[in-house]
Amino acid sequence: MDTAVHLDGITKRFPGVVANDNVDLAVERGTVHALLGENGAGKTTLMNVLYGLYDPTAGRVLVDGAERSFESPRDAIDAGIGMIHQHFMLVDPMTVTENITLGNEPKKWGGLAVDREAARSAVVDLSERYGFDVDPDARIEDVSVGEQQRVEILKALYRGADVLILDEPTAVLTPQEVEELFEVLEELTAQGKTIIFITHKLGEAMRAADEITVLRDGRNVGTVDAAETTREGLAELMVGREVLLDVDKPPAETGDVVAAASDLVVEDERGVRAVDGVGFEVRAGEVFGIAGVDGNGQSELIEALTGLSTPDGGRIEFLGRDVTDDSRRSRIDDGMAYIPEDRQDRGLVMDFDLVENAILGSQHTAEFGPNGRIDWPHTREHAESIIDEYDVRPPNADSTSESLSGGNQQKFIVGREFERDPELVVAAHPTRGVDVGSIEFIHERLLELRKEGVAVLLVSSKLEEVQGLSDRLAVMYEGEFMDVVDPTATTEEELGLLMAGERPDADSTATAETERDVGASAGGERA
Amino acid sequence: MSVRDRARDVLERLAIASATERILISTAALVLSILVGAVLVLVAGRMTACTANEAVYYFGTGFCYDPVLVFDRLFLGALGDPFSGGWSPGGQFSITLRETTLLLFTGLSVALAFRAGIFNIGTQGQMVVGALATALGVLWVSPLVSGVVGTVLLIPFGILVGAVFGGLYGAIPGLLKAYADANEVITTIMLNFIATGVTLYLVSGVFKDPNSPANQTVPLPEYAQFPAVLFGGRQDFSLIALAFGLVAIGGLYYLLEHTAFGYDVRTSGIQPDAAEYGGVDAAKTIVSSLTLSGALGGIAGAMYVMMVLGTFQTGVPDYGFDGITVSILAGNNPIGVGVAALLFGVLKSGTTVVQFATDVPPQLVGVLRGLIILFVAMPEFFRLIGKRVTDAGEKAVATDGGRPGGESDE
Amino acid sequence: MSEATAGSADADESVLERYSSRVLVAGVTLAALALFLVGGWLFPDTILGTFADVLTSRNTLSAALRLSVPIAFAALGGIFSEKSGVINIGLEGLLIISAFTAIYVTYLTGNVWIGFGGGVVASVLLALLFAVVTIEFRADQIIAGLAVWLIALGLAPFASQVIFGGPNTPTVATPGAISVPVLADIPFFGALFSASPSVYLLFLAVGLSWYVFERTTFGRWVRASGENPKALDTAGVSVTRVRYAAVLISGVLSGMGGAALSLDLGQFTGNGPTMVNGKGFIAIVAYLFGNYNPVGAFLSTLLFAGLDAMQTYLQLQGIGVPRQLIRITPFVVVIVVLALVGRTRIPEAAGDHYESGEE
Repeated sequence: MDTAVHLDGITKRFPGVVANDNVDLAVERGTVHALLGENGAGKTTLMNVLYGLYDPTAGRVLVDGAERSFESPRDAIDAGIGMIHQHFMLVDPMTVTENITLGNEPKKWGGLAVDREAARSAVVDLSERYGFDVDPDARIEDVSVGEQQRVEILKALYRGADVLILDEPTAVLTPQEVEELFEVLEELTAQGKTIIFITHKLGEAMRAADEITVLRDGRNVGTVDAAETTREGLAELMVGREVLLDVDKPPAETGDVVAAASDLVVEDERGVRAVDGVGFEVRAGEVFGIAGVDGNGQSELIEALTGLSTPDGGRIEFLGRDVTDDSRRSRIDDGMAYIPEDRQDRGLVMDFDLVENAILGSQHTAEFGPNGRIDWPHTREHAESIIDEYDVRPPNADSTSESLSGGNQQKFIVGREFERDPELVVAAHPTRGVDVGSIEFIHERLLELRKEGVAVLLVSSKLEEVQGLSDRLAVMYEGEFMDVVDPTATTEEELGLLMAGERPDADSTATAETERDVGASAGGERA
Repeated sequence: MSVRDRARDVLERLAIASATERILISTAALVLSILVGAVLVLVAGRMTACTANEAVYYFGTGFCYDPVLVFDRLFLGALGDPFSGGWSPGGQFSITLRETTLLLFTGLSVALAFRAGIFNIGTQGQMVVGALATALGVLWVSPLVSGVVGTVLLIPFGILVGAVFGGLYGAIPGLLKAYADANEVITTIMLNFIATGVTLYLVSGVFKDPNSPANQTVPLPEYAQFPAVLFGGRQDFSLIALAFGLVAIGGLYYLLEHTAFGYDVRTSGIQPDAAEYGGVDAAKTIVSSLTLSGALGGIAGAMYVMMVLGTFQTGVPDYGFDGITVSILAGNNPIGVGVAALLFGVLKSGTTVVQFATDVPPQLVGVLRGLIILFVAMPEFFRLIGKRVTDAGEKAVATDGGRPGGESDE
Repeated sequence: MSEATAGSADADESVLERYSSRVLVAGVTLAALALFLVGGWLFPDTILGTFADVLTSRNTLSAALRLSVPIAFAALGGIFSEKSGVINIGLEGLLIISAFTAIYVTYLTGNVWIGFGGGVVASVLLALLFAVVTIEFRADQIIAGLAVWLIALGLAPFASQVIFGGPNTPTVATPGAISVPVLADIPFFGALFSASPSVYLLFLAVGLSWYVFERTTFGRWVRASGENPKALDTAGVSVTRVRYAAVLISGVLSGMGGAALSLDLGQFTGNGPTMVNGKGFIAIVAYLFGNYNPVGAFLSTLLFAGLDAMQTYLQLQGIGVPRQLIRITPFVVVIVVLALVGRTRIPEAAGDHYESGEE
């Protein structure tokens, strides 16, 4: 066998953290090798070592059998390694061709000018050779995410990459685009390229890879042949214990409508309708879930609902009153709690300590800010009680939120918002980037609120999460609700189709991940 | 909250490591600027002509200006030569305090805006507008009152007028930023030029004192000016004005740290997205903090008219720009502004002493102002130096288990 | 809020909206010009007639070009710097330092062109300081830019005082105007062909800058460095080097502007805001209004400078508006333009530090 890349005993330490601990990895030429593991398992760090972004603390990197030491990505590129990052390294206002050739532009007139014809034809040749569908003259900001990803791959190929590293390439794609990507990968390996594919999704690893290496806590816990392994086996390797995916919850006892939206339209800054005529209601005592691939208008919908943006059309009601034009502050005062998607930008002031952060949103209330003067002693008590009840660590109200880990930041936000005594909780990706223990804790608290008769609007791109917690589940695609379904009577496959913009009864070409036995398909009946 | 709790609270906040670092960085920046200034004085001393007797000699080379003398005059001279006997409160020291008083207000003005995340370069213009408004307002009202009663009524009135007009002038860039997305750095700089132009037009025309060759208003009556307390009247300094300044420091500190409005301002200043999330009305906060900032600038103008000049004259000195330095040096902290204003007051007052003693031009302080801002703006530089110093000490005990020649993890 | 404009669902419309305020300003300007010209032609004895005379006067164009020189050079410099991701608010300082140094070196050597070079060198050195502080030591770009301005604002009069005993320098020789035969005799537009060498240099600089951005690899790297430095870095180009180069180019260009400003008059005046008097800040607005395009920046500079030129000639014509008020018109116009243009699409990463490698 021909080993394209061999990582030998790689250790990478950061102050206080061992991100990679003596990891071995051998990748055969012309294959797709998946690097599987949970968030924070050390996959990206390992690949950044291979790509020359990090220096390993210990260990060797061998490419084509020769030991290499990469000072910078430039060296890695020269050695034929290309990396497609999760966040694309593309310059939005420049064209596809300009992006692909950036840094290696063909020149004419002795270097005084870019040879634009040569650049364009090189891009056209390359995309024809690998059967890519890209427009060389389109601007990056005008093309789809899937196309941007293909541009990234072309960029690496243009630089002569033989080994391509893809970091979570499917996170931003629709199921169809995922399928297209996998076809591209097949074509590339058929032409002798080697692919390393970072993912935390079992199904994708099994679908696309020839071999799978599982990382856990920075260690290689096993390399298996994709054809001979099972989901359960991989899942156990990943988390190291039996996975509990099912949430135990009693049936909902729903009450009055707490929040409702009708014909909601929200435009993004380019004037494109990110939310296009959405309507729904959330009742007391139920969890209303919204599933969908990131970027289909969920964020814009929530921002409009919580008062962070003004909708361009439609109407929002809260507690039976039209609040479409109400400010964010008045909505908070009325009892709307919000766990924001981006906790470090929105949810916490990173330089403030937890005492100060405990009143973010309630600084003007009679409880914490009577007569415009903030009651700091009372605020401190409040912060300490949140820390205590929601198990925020370290339990020190004087530490800045910046010094907390992501999971603890999230627990603090969750605590603050739940303790508002809300009528409605809007929870956007409440467990994103949070450790397993905290996930269970946050889920339990959400269900407790539901039991107490609070209305919950849950948005998550984790299908198990929305499916497990929701009483009714809407699937959002390109700014619209495809359907609102009963999550217990719908299979993951059907949801996958809806997330891809297709109704289950329609003729479909998409192959959703066949991850579980397809149970009785109850179809997309309206709840 | 008891006084003791309060004190504990203050101490706790001061004890935060970053505050200590701030103070260290500001001090280092100040020292470094003075060193660079000393080099500048030496270089300037080579470029000008003097007799061999007048020159001083360093490193075997003659210089016309002596930096040691310059900085001796600058600091000790500004303090009124406390070590050479015969110190009196009415001397140079009172000029230092006068400058300090004005810098307190402009510094607080800039600091408040900075805390809200707004670069108010327009304190100068707000001060000019406040100054003219105060002069005209007080002149208009002064015939109605007189004597001590007049002083007691006119001084607060003058300050109020200055604050209102400075505040309104500050509201303009605030409104432009909040509702038209116009960059406040540019608009406030433009408004400085406009303030200078318009006041020149008014004072050289309609409001000109017919009995004076200068472009100035009719002088204010004596009872409409700050009375000199303790310090004698010669140097145009009033302890009462300084007391107003100290009250302003306390007021701004309280406003920022203990009120909901201050919370809104600080949140918008460091993390606007989080502020929006927390229900802070961004536009309103921008307008009100710039208005308040302008009001403080306007008060500086009022002080300048009622304490220093006794009239309004065109060509108001650059207190507004110095306020930027003061605020940056103070890390935009109101209490720090008090210390920084005194330091900078020393520099400003000392320059005139230097000019008498050594012929070094007073523009030196302008250069120092720029240098201080530059150095305070690059904390990374001092961190790097600090790290190098501490690293050198640690290297001996470093027991890194990595492979030989392994890179450090940064 | 006021920004809530009538709902437009169409994406194309938003593109139009993006430019509409620019179009509006340009349109209003053209309409006003047309009004003055037509009105002046119809009623030559009214104030409109005076305006029309001023507008069509060859002297106005010639003065507008002369006044454009420092602003346009600084604006070109600002484009390079900001496109690379470094907001250079210190352009004013670069103009001041080069204006003074040019006169000083000319005074020492007696040669205008060596003086010109001296001014450029001074500006480049100050730009280098700015680059080191912002790129190497990650200082806040706005504050460091202010510092550059204030340092120059103090240093130039300080040096003038030390050397010449006053904030204003003595007068030195000026470079004469260069006239292109025949073309210089064309009415009105002849002003383009009979001007100070700095005007021709400016034309050259505008063209070259445009070429660099549109056609060369360096221009692309500058754009990428300001939009997505990481993309450039991962493509193997050093963001730090590109930014250094761009900031130094802004030093060269601003230096040419400052040197031209003082040398055309033969003197540096250092009172108050000095002879530069806000031109560096107007330059920033000019390139924002010109949407970071060298030609656009030049045209908007011409607009501001044209206003300035008109006010000078209106004064000569004895229009009853006080001098002090006319003098502030450019500043007022800048604010109005800024308020109308509002949000310009600044480079994505402008103002941010960039550190290569380990994040």
